[in-house]
Amino acid sequence: MIEHKGWIPVTLSTALEPGTSAGTLVGGTELVVWRDTKGAAHVWEDRCPHRGMRMSFGFVRGDHIACLYHGWQYDTAGQCQYIPAHPTLDVPKTIKVPTYTAAEKGGIIWAALSAEAAEAAIPVEDGEVVPVRSIYIDRPFEAVLAALRNANIPAFTGDAAPRFETIADGIGIASTGDDRLLIACQPFNPTRTALHLVIQGSAETYGGAGQKHFARWAETFRLMLETVSTPVAEMA
Amino acid sequence: MMPAITLYNYDLDENSFRVRLMLAMLKPEHATIAIDMFPGQEQTRPTMLAINPQGTLPVLVDGDLTLAGAEAILAYLAKAYDPARTWLPEDAAGFGRVQGWLHFSATMLENAKQARLQALFDTPGDETALRAGARKAFRIMDDHMTARHFDGADWFVGDKPSLADLTLFPSFALSRDFGIDHDEFPALRLWIRKFRALPGFFTMPGIPDYH
Repeated sequence: MIEHKGWIPVTLSTALEPGTSAGTLVGGTELVVWRDTKGAAHVWEDRCPHRGMRMSFGFVRGDHIACLYHGWQYDTAGQCQYIPAHPTLDVPKTIKVPTYTAAEKGGIIWAALSAEAAEAAIPVEDGEVVPVRSIYIDRPFEAVLAALRNANIPAFTGDAAPRFETIADGIGIASTGDDRLLIACQPFNPTRTALHLVIQGSAETYGGAGQKHFARWAETFRLMLETVSTPVAEMA
Repeated sequence: MMPAITLYNYDLDENSFRVRLMLAMLKPEHATIAIDMFPGQEQTRPTMLAINPQGTLPVLVDGDLTLAGAEAILAYLAKAYDPARTWLPEDAAGFGRVQGWLHFSATMLENAKQARLQALFDTPGDETALRAGARKAFRIMDDHMTARHFDGADWFVGDKPSLADLTLFPSFALSRDFGIDHDEFPALRLWIRKFRALPGFFTMPGIPDYH
């Protein structure tokens, strides 16, 4: 299984509507992130035990997720409850999708991929947040982190100089002007990293123009990282 | 009597699907003639070349008018059969923006269309370059819809679905055919869900039908 000590961000909360699913990768391992119709988020291995189809291609019905291939339905514990081709079958308990601990905090859905990770608290403050975006960058995790520590993020409000404070491996707060931006990094695969950006502030201040301001910065940051020829860590 | 509109169509061709979707949403009476694009390449045979010398699909015939090119056909159908004028906006800026995405569909998204044909039918082309080009196009679309969502907008242009949404939808919805998942495009995932809920929407092979 995947070796990760801490909580891994996998998507912005607002990007996953109730009754939908999305695929993602952590360290190259496929995960499905899905939200049942009551609103609870789940993170599982993205593989139907039947034929190996990605569960993220499937569909959510109430508190079950069904595989696109043959409609096998799993409950929120990952246990298969219904096989359409054998409607009267009492489904064996061995037909189960491996599940991980999922939690939502600070505008992000997080996954704990080990028991050790699940015991720790998610190192993010509660409070009002405004989502910006997730952005996928074709650079390794360490290269993105190195660039973030030196990123010159323009402020939306105020004029204090930008700085980046690491609060956990891959998670940091970028302060710039009067703005505070939570940046949570997801090691997607060995060559690609996802950044999940959330403004810690009010919708009144940041809704619309503020969101666009930081989304545009993220897109510029991606372009800069992907077009440099020398490793960013060495440029700093 | 045959309806005035005839669509020459291949079910697995995404450009034909664009026109089928538009016809399903605008509901003019029409007939569809199946053309064997793969493996027959029937659209390049003399009978079809007499109708469309470009040798492409789809082809739409409406009375005396014969049109090739999905984007041209979509624009014509919107002008002719959408009295509400929402699919092709009348205002200059909206019209220009929609034309911009139609152009994008015919140029940037060509990579996605070719990558898919290669995956399904082994057509020639540089696989790596086609897929990279497709991913680049989807990023442009995802960045655009990210910004649109900040404005509370659900569609590529204006406050209603337009030809921009219709022409962009199939390439993204079919991207798994050529190995590009939807994982990296959260704004597009939200958008295709909205699009799928439109009246008249239906799927083609390769686009999941959630029944």
